[in-house]
Amino acid sequence: MPREQGRDVEAMRESRPVLVSVNDVSMAYNGAYAVRSASFDLERGRFLTILGPSGSGKTTLLRLIAGFGRATSGEIFINGQPVSAVPPHKRSIGMVFQRLALFPHLTAAENVAFPLKMRRHDATTIAGKVTRFLELVKLGGLGGRRIHELSGGQQQRVAIARALVFEPDLLLLDEPLAALDRKLREDMQLEFRRIQRELGVTTINVTHDQREALVMSDEVIVMDAGKIQQKARPAETYRNPRNAFVANFIGVTGFVEGTATSVSGGLVRMSHGNVELAGIMAGDAAPPRIGQSLVGAIRAEQVRIAADRRQLGGLDTIVTGEIAEAIFEGERIVYEVRVAALGGVILRVFDHDPAEHSQFEPGAHVSLGWNASDVRLYGMD
Amino acid sequence: MTAPRSKSIVLWTFVISVLVLLSAPTIVVIGASFTSGNMIAFPPEGLSLKWYAKIAQATELWDAFLRSLYAAAICTIIAIPAGTLAGIALAKYPIRFATSVQMYLLLPFTIPLIGSGIGLMLVFGEARLLGQLWPVGVAVCVINLPFMIWAVSASAASLDPDLELAAANCGAPPLSTFIHVTIPGVMPGIISGSLLMFILALNEFLVSLLLVDARIVTLPVQIYNSIRSIITPDLAAVSVVFVACAVAAVFLLDRLVGLEIFLKSK
Repeated sequence: MPREQGRDVEAMRESRPVLVSVNDVSMAYNGAYAVRSASFDLERGRFLTILGPSGSGKTTLLRLIAGFGRATSGEIFINGQPVSAVPPHKRSIGMVFQRLALFPHLTAAENVAFPLKMRRHDATTIAGKVTRFLELVKLGGLGGRRIHELSGGQQQRVAIARALVFEPDLLLLDEPLAALDRKLREDMQLEFRRIQRELGVTTINVTHDQREALVMSDEVIVMDAGKIQQKARPAETYRNPRNAFVANFIGVTGFVEGTATSVSGGLVRMSHGNVELAGIMAGDAAPPRIGQSLVGAIRAEQVRIAADRRQLGGLDTIVTGEIAEAIFEGERIVYEVRVAALGGVILRVFDHDPAEHSQFEPGAHVSLGWNASDVRLYGMD
Repeated sequence: MTAPRSKSIVLWTFVISVLVLLSAPTIVVIGASFTSGNMIAFPPEGLSLKWYAKIAQATELWDAFLRSLYAAAICTIIAIPAGTLAGIALAKYPIRFATSVQMYLLLPFTIPLIGSGIGLMLVFGEARLLGQLWPVGVAVCVINLPFMIWAVSASAASLDPDLELAAANCGAPPLSTFIHVTIPGVMPGIISGSLLMFILALNEFLVSLLLVDARIVTLPVQIYNSIRSIITPDLAAVSVVFVACAVAAVFLLDRLVGLEIFLKSK
């Protein structure tokens, strides 16, 4: 029978893989909400990124999970247990801080050993684990260095090792990559992902960098003004932003406004002056009323550009515009095109073959075309 | 071309005269201490080390110097825990009566020493503690403690607040965090504050004068007493030893705190 019971426990763990559950959490400072009614579940072993602009409440939410401060209302559960009464040093959570917060008076190895010393492991265990984790972050042999003797990237690695060495249930990353230059940041993103996969540790990462969120995560939460705007897989977030904020924050997006004229199946037609536009209502939004004001979001990479509209045959929607700006970015040229017929709105278009000289000069008249199925519509209210 | 040159001449004249003014007393006393004559004079009449030889023999001076060291040590030993805790508290926590505390910290600059000295004399006299040496250390500590608090709170204010959160996150309970992270973090302030306290106590004259009797005079009081009878060059030599002590302390401060800053990640 004990065997049976064991299997039941195993089954229960399988059926309840949620590690972190944030339940209607709000945080107010002097009446102003930094986080408002945030709720989400995070399954064991997943890598979640909370993405948002500064002031969106993402760091506040992360610090509440770490135990730094107490939520105004709501509860956070870790392993099914409410933790609001548990002080940070009794939560099994590793954290990599934005400015790393490595202990400057200790060596790299002493920094990594610190969590184990605080947990009163014996010296042999500590030495073994410190060596193993320094090797995991590829700092084998550098343990004796002082923090200031290490490069920025190496300091990052010490901070990761210190956060993981005691094998916490949960790893929190508070924008630790924000201060690095681009090349190193992209290397470290992949490095974090490798280590996270290797150890299978559940991770919550906070960033304002949309690329980082898309590259690193299993799931992305987009926050703005203290509220969770969307929680989805990266590709889903990118392809089907749930509202105009998410559509604007992730990717390069143009917005066209119009008035709904007809609804047939999933397709909604709308007009802007004399221009006929169409698109698909985003997410699970209800079909619009006729006459309702809508805004359509179109990704820059889904807009085609040509000198003549005949070169854009097969596309549903074609408008004409004038090049306002041609921005050379190396691997691509970004055209900013002003469309007078849509109220002078600027639409951006990519040209990924800029090896030749830029095709269009500012002031040139061009045609833009796209498919209605690529346009996501949001109600304006 | 002439304008910058005349400007630099004016600047250099100013800088040099300020330097001369600041260092004149020290230079005069050092020069006078090497005289071979029997009167204190600058420039010295001939060069000799005989006055140093004389003070090396003078047991009453040495005893007074040891008493000064003793009082300074008492002062520093009290100042380190008191000033460290107060300095950290002031820098890191919202404190009730914060303005009153800040006013208290201005006291050493605003209240004349003679005033606080007489106050302390009354207090210790009432407690029948006059005529002993350790109350001098306590008194000097009370008067100069704000310097220690300032040194530590400056250090604590520049400490990354995330360090303590990081320690908690690593599993350190509050007391361990304090011992293993906060104290090492404010160590530069503690070192510079306690050296400052030590030097101030070693040099303290007025408060000592009021609290000691003839049997237990400290070095500055001993020197003062000698001046009142006859001014001989051995006093200049004693002063030079004093200056050397201060220079050594400053050197030590630079080495220790400089080293400490060097250990930081900057």
